[in-house]
Amino acid sequence: MFAVGYTLIFSILRIINFAHAAIFTLGAYFTYALTGSAFGYNGLLKNSALPIHLPFLLAAVVGAMLAGLVAIVIERLAFRPLRNRGADPLLSLVSSLGVAVVIVNVIQYLVGAENYSYPAQPYGNLPTAINFGLGSQRIPVRTVQIVIFGVSVVIMLLLTYWLNRTKTGKALRAIAEDATTASLLGINTDQLILLTFFLSGMVGGLSGALIGSSVSIAGPYFGISFGLRGLAVIVLGGLGDIPGAIVGGVVLGLAEAFVPVQYIAYKDAVAFAVLFLMLLLRPQGLLGRAELQKV
Amino acid sequence: MTAQAAAEQAAQVGPARSVVLQAERLTRRFGGLLAVNSVSFDVEEGEIFGLIGPNGAGKTTLFNMITGLQRLSSGSVRYRGSEISKLRPDQIARRGIARTFQNIRLFGNLSALENVMIAQHVHLRSGVLGGVLGLPLSRREEQHAPERACELLDLVGLLGRAYQEARTLPYGDQRRLEIARALALEPTLLLLDEPAAGMNPNEKHDLSTFIRGLHDRFKLTVLLIEHHVPLVLGLCDRIAVLNFGQLIALGAPEQVRQDPAVIDAYLGAE
Repeated sequence: MFAVGYTLIFSILRIINFAHAAIFTLGAYFTYALTGSAFGYNGLLKNSALPIHLPFLLAAVVGAMLAGLVAIVIERLAFRPLRNRGADPLLSLVSSLGVAVVIVNVIQYLVGAENYSYPAQPYGNLPTAINFGLGSQRIPVRTVQIVIFGVSVVIMLLLTYWLNRTKTGKALRAIAEDATTASLLGINTDQLILLTFFLSGMVGGLSGALIGSSVSIAGPYFGISFGLRGLAVIVLGGLGDIPGAIVGGVVLGLAEAFVPVQYIAYKDAVAFAVLFLMLLLRPQGLLGRAELQKV
Repeated sequence: MTAQAAAEQAAQVGPARSVVLQAERLTRRFGGLLAVNSVSFDVEEGEIFGLIGPNGAGKTTLFNMITGLQRLSSGSVRYRGSEISKLRPDQIARRGIARTFQNIRLFGNLSALENVMIAQHVHLRSGVLGGVLGLPLSRREEQHAPERACELLDLVGLLGRAYQEARTLPYGDQRRLEIARALALEPTLLLLDEPAAGMNPNEKHDLSTFIRGLHDRFKLTVLLIEHHVPLVLGLCDRIAVLNFGQLIALGAPEQVRQDPAVIDAYLGAE
């Protein structure tokens, strides 16, 4: 799910937005603040809390929108100036990395570096786990994970529909191929790129909130560790392929799940070994078609 | 003949029609290089206006400035009386100026039909929200759009290939698809950048007839860059000649052909 937002920007702009990891973290923190929970003992905002207490799901949606707005600001400040100068995509990558570091540090400055957990039972009265096994063979799956998976699939379907079937989506695909020509056809490229960043930020923020509800928010660097694995996922899914990003996420998750408990520290190694194999065997992605060879 | 004298002379010769595009002392510097140096000309409603000149004379730069892709270093461009040189390319396109490129720039991964429909985007007035909610107005427009796109494809002889990816089309078809896409903007002024590039003499002749046909059918004003001198002489009402970024001649075809400065630029310099 994290990877979907990543992929969205990559598929349109051909840039890797490292700030996405920070937006993911922000989404989690925004949601935390909106549920009215208090911050910890360190940082500028110690022991303060918002006077509002939104239920978790509402807070997650509002938090996601705020994250989307932050993404828009990032676009204006860190990407557009470079794009207008026709700078190398590598520079945008460095610029986004810089933004990520700034955001992470601001979070740390404001609320400190400790872990936060959402209030108990964020999903109301749903059971914490559902048994998928038969008889004595119990295969419990945590409800949170089912929710995350379900939301990911819904978002993927919506985005795919939007990109392929609507006018705006078509305009975006035109920008993805050739922004200059798109602008000459009367498409306001800057505005649509902003929209892309907003949606990507929303998806990122929402995934931050949901994943935060699954494992707790592990400090300001929360998103960064997901960032690298997210990168692996989008390569797995085929760069810029939205359904591929979801499939890639599932495959990576399963691969990690097969790591025996005593070797759990090597989870990331497994993730990147899968990434490496993938690049060797199917560089076009799991769902990708082979590029036609130019004769 | 100086640029100014040429412009004055053209102003006397030209019939009294309204001016669509007015370029005034257009200048573009790239570092120390003057790519376009104080070029002025008017394009009148309904005319086919040719722009010729040796390689590197600044013709494409001129097009880029008119369509908003490159900023002017100085000068002004007026379209139907209002200044457009500060506008974004998409705003200029919405006002009715469409162009094609010397090196074809289609959306290669999209079908021929989608390429055309993207340009129609501008004329579907209903917003994003309307599209999402399926409001009646936007549904009607969306139904109408494919019909119109197919008409345009038919016009350029590509109806049979509507669903083929643009990059798999033969070269000549790609050129014509680019023109169809430009027409989908419903422009009043069409800028063609070397439409005959890479065509054989037969195809060039057909193209000339084709452009004339478009001009008559859609009441277009056409501004055309072309290297192939016979085609330009046969097709255009007036011709401007650029050399090293400067306007060296402007006038009716026979007049330009006999201009010593033009003969010098084309024969003497090479």
